[in-house]
Amino acid sequence: MTTADVTLAKQEAPGWRFLGKEAAVRVAAGVAILLIWEITVRLWAPAFVARPSRIIVVFPTVIVDPAIWQAFALTLGSVVQGLAIAVVFGTIIGIAVGRIAFIERLLQIYVNGLFAMPMVAILPLLTLWFGYTGEARLATVVFAAIFAIIVNVSDGARAVPPEYVEVSRAFRGSGWSRLFDVILPSSVPYLLAGIRLAAGRALIGAVVAEFFAALPGIGFYILFNTRTFRHNEAFVAVAMLAVTGVLFEFALAGATRRLLPWYRRDEPTE
Amino acid sequence: MRPDPAWRRYGTYVLALALGIALWEAAAVFTKPVFLASFTGTIARLHELVLSGVLVEALRSSMLVYFIGLGAAIAVGLAAGILLARVRLLRIALESYIMLLYATPMVALIPFILSMMGFGFAAKSVVVFLFAVFSVLYNTIEGARSIRPEMLEVARSFRSSEWRIWRDVLIPYTLPYAMTGVRQAIGRALVGLVAGEFFLSGTGIGLLIVRSGQDFDVPGLYGAIIVITVLGAVLMAVGRALENRFAAWRGLQR
Repeated sequence: MTTADVTLAKQEAPGWRFLGKEAAVRVAAGVAILLIWEITVRLWAPAFVARPSRIIVVFPTVIVDPAIWQAFALTLGSVVQGLAIAVVFGTIIGIAVGRIAFIERLLQIYVNGLFAMPMVAILPLLTLWFGYTGEARLATVVFAAIFAIIVNVSDGARAVPPEYVEVSRAFRGSGWSRLFDVILPSSVPYLLAGIRLAAGRALIGAVVAEFFAALPGIGFYILFNTRTFRHNEAFVAVAMLAVTGVLFEFALAGATRRLLPWYRRDEPTE
Repeated sequence: MRPDPAWRRYGTYVLALALGIALWEAAAVFTKPVFLASFTGTIARLHELVLSGVLVEALRSSMLVYFIGLGAAIAVGLAAGILLARVRLLRIALESYIMLLYATPMVALIPFILSMMGFGFAAKSVVVFLFAVFSVLYNTIEGARSIRPEMLEVARSFRSSEWRIWRDVLIPYTLPYAMTGVRQAIGRALVGLVAGEFFLSGTGIGLLIVRSGQDFDVPGLYGAIIVITVLGAVLMAVGRALENRFAAWRGLQR
């Protein structure tokens, strides 16, 4: 029993733990990937295509350049702001959809439809409404994020164990107390799952809006630099986006572990 | 709560749709036509687009790119994922990098693809492929990690052949997870398709959307967005059905 558990724990270590021998294997694989990339580009691709050796050379100058950080701050600011708006309104709508049958029936097809819609498609419409401005980007981010949150929160609100609600009723808890002390807390895990999904979509939304409307930001930085054949510089920006995506994942996984240590949704219990 | 009878469920959906349409039609009266086309205007324009064959042709060319990109992504993602499930060393070596790519917003790579591969059909299929492949791969590897090492050990101690190990352990255990990846990939690939059609050469439904926006053909714009939304909803339903079909294998009701 114990030995089995030990092997199990070792096998199921999360993919990001850099430890001993496994770390060596990972680093070796990373080096191999970079080498293959370098050789492929040298042999078959035009000289302007990004390759590791050139990226390393430009990296120190790009990373101290205020322009890239300004662009990054603009994009990230918009993503964070949009996510905040989406979380607030998405939670309210999600709880309403999950708890009130009438609202669920009214909104469900719209929520599901808009959740399934590729948000890129609505860009031309948003630029008609908001012009080629930062607001169009913010609107894209909110639009990309909010339905993921509504869908998840309403799932959560629906999944509140009925006993909890009954206990609250039996103790003559007010409607507000039922909302804030029972329904909201038990929907939090779903909310976090929704934010995780929404964050990725929001980042894509912001970058796409910058491409489409030529708005200053990290997406436009990438577009501008690739168009002027400075692929290596542009690639540093892509790497920043990738790191941001991973940090989001980490932060949310960490928040889930810390805030909801009892919660295991992703790992099916066997 | 008692489940509603079917007629009542669909009845309320129809009612919700009718209410939404009425609201839209009313809102259009009070809004400038540049911002909001009326529902009837949108449907009339959509009808025109169908009759002239523009819409059908656009959908045909879009779906060709979509299914080539998605098909390649599923094939590559599944094959590579199951290979990584079997070869533990390879999995340890590569999974961190796959997770990194999974979390990278692939749109950021579109300008690179544009300048390396140009505007054509292949470039767009590559965009769809890139949007989709890491979902399949990442989730298949998740499935691989869910296989208990004891299972493989038991299979091996009963002298299972390599083929039987694949058939009885690897594939049944990874496929349900892989299907979650396929479901995600179906959605992501559609985003990739539209993004590719926007930023590479304009073709298909993406071009229809962009051009309607540029020409201030607002009814056409709304019509094209409705088409892509319905398409997205149908594809997502297919993905869900696929996922649920295989979810039973891992003993999960979702």
